[in-house]
Amino acid sequence: MQSEDLLTVLLTYTSGSGDQPYLLAALLASGIFLLVFIAISFHLLHETSASLLGAAAVLLVTYIWGHFNPGMRMLDFDQAMRFVDWNVIFLIMGMMIFVGILAETNIFRWTAFRFYRASRGKPWRLLGSLILLTGALSALLNDVTVILLLVPLSIQIAIALDIHPFVFVIPEVLASNIGGAATMIGDPPSTIVGSHIGLSFGQYFVNMAPIALICMLALLIIVRIQYRNDIGNEDTEGHIPLIERLAAEAGLRKPETLRKAMIVLMATFMLFFAAELFDNIPPGVVAISGAAVLIAWVRPDMHHMLREVDWTTLLFFIGLFIVVGALDATGAIGWLATLIGVLAGKSADSAALLTTWISGIASAIVANIPFTVAALPVADFLTQKLPAAGQSGIVYWALILGADLGGNATYLGSAPNIVAVGLLAQAGYRLTFKRFMRDGLPVTIVTLILASIWLLIRY
Amino acid sequence: MGLILCATRGGEASIPTQLKAIEMASQTGDELAFLYVADSSFLNMTAAAVVVDVEDELVNMGKFLLAMAAERAQKEGVMARSVIRTGVVREILPVVAKELEASVIILGRPAGESSQFKEADFDHFMNGIEAETQAKVIAFKETIPE
Repeated sequence: MQSEDLLTVLLTYTSGSGDQPYLLAALLASGIFLLVFIAISFHLLHETSASLLGAAAVLLVTYIWGHFNPGMRMLDFDQAMRFVDWNVIFLIMGMMIFVGILAETNIFRWTAFRFYRASRGKPWRLLGSLILLTGALSALLNDVTVILLLVPLSIQIAIALDIHPFVFVIPEVLASNIGGAATMIGDPPSTIVGSHIGLSFGQYFVNMAPIALICMLALLIIVRIQYRNDIGNEDTEGHIPLIERLAAEAGLRKPETLRKAMIVLMATFMLFFAAELFDNIPPGVVAISGAAVLIAWVRPDMHHMLREVDWTTLLFFIGLFIVVGALDATGAIGWLATLIGVLAGKSADSAALLTTWISGIASAIVANIPFTVAALPVADFLTQKLPAAGQSGIVYWALILGADLGGNATYLGSAPNIVAVGLLAQAGYRLTFKRFMRDGLPVTIVTLILASIWLLIRY
Repeated sequence: MGLILCATRGGEASIPTQLKAIEMASQTGDELAFLYVADSSFLNMTAAAVVVDVEDELVNMGKFLLAMAAERAQKEGVMARSVIRTGVVREILPVVAKELEASVIILGRPAGESSQFKEADFDHFMNGIEAETQAKVIAFKETIPE
């Protein structure tokens, strides 16, 4: 029966009439998506440029080729706008405004330096603190921003303590990807999937924070083993003049702005958690409302503030949603979903495990954001097909965990990895693909195993 | 008396290059300047949200790394000054060399898997700077300990 299903899906593409998908349109949508995916994953084009070109191609084919052959109408403008997940866009934009204002107060550098002081010259305690700090901040804020703010300071502290910077930076990056899975705003795949299935912040947190915490503890243990020869057990004072130099740069700035930002941020998080009490306010609405209140209260220079919002990210997501929307609308993704459905059989557990490991492996090799967006219709299909999966949402959780944790295997796996490699290069430390994988792959395998066990027990 | 300009990032692989520059300044009595170029172009590899002043973070890190280089020079009795710029090293280096009227430019020649330059590209880069600045360009091979 299952192979008959597959054949039926393939045959329907060839009809090109009525409401059925049209084979050529589906193939073209797949080709556009693949080109965008390859350009992004192998850095042939800037991610935003690739996704916008893809979106433009989808719309131009629809209007120009579709004018002569209606079967080639992949996605018109109105349909394209409906495929854009505006909840994701507003959530990311709102959190960018928060981080932009908070970063000006130097709070991140100040906090990291307090952690250094609290470690009292004990390198293992410092490394553990930095891992937990990075994980926690990545759960609350955008993970790339956390890396951009913490890694330069960590490199300097490592040098001042005569410890190789990789020993601090690699675990921080791994912690960032794991911590990001804990909340809906931490990692883009979490935001995308959480928004797609209409989760509230609290619903997401209850389901994912425990496994993120378990993975974080596993990371601490693995790091202790991996770096046993790189860090001594003895206390170190470090290079005093360099430490004093760092201390001088770690002071808080704009205390009034900080006070206001912290109040609004706390209120925003309270509303994130209380969303279910108010008709499930979408997280994007909460984030943008908090950001609007903060802007009104702090009164930053608006032109400066708008420059702080990274429009390239937002345009990247809009373009990507349109390109994947074309895959969905032409039925191209139906074939893949059917194939995975055949492989998964009738078991929700098998489907979840398959999704976890496929998305984990894929996210290690290619960019996890386009992968997640493209995998969503497949997760929808599996969830509809398997009643047990529909009740628990296990396939969606599997997709989130696979995409977030898989990004730790290679430095191409996620944006924080790429940014950390760039920051290290700027300090003259070149982190090679092989070196990153040596430390990242074991963590990825262990955390994916833990995630698999969690999925089977919890759901 | 001339000026030796040493472009450096300060990492483990650059230390031998810094030491050569310090040794040369010590022997010739020339002035020594270390140059760090804060280059945030690596962010072009990702569309991830960048809402912080990355160049500011990199400049801070550059100050720290050049303070270490200056300290190495001081240990050898050489006073070195630090110059920090933002941009791309290929473009900034000749500008700073002309501005400081450098007579010698010292660079590290990155090697191995991690090198951003191909050998031929690096030679072309060196020749271009030499022609543009009239300064003598010397490159020392950098190796990365595994």
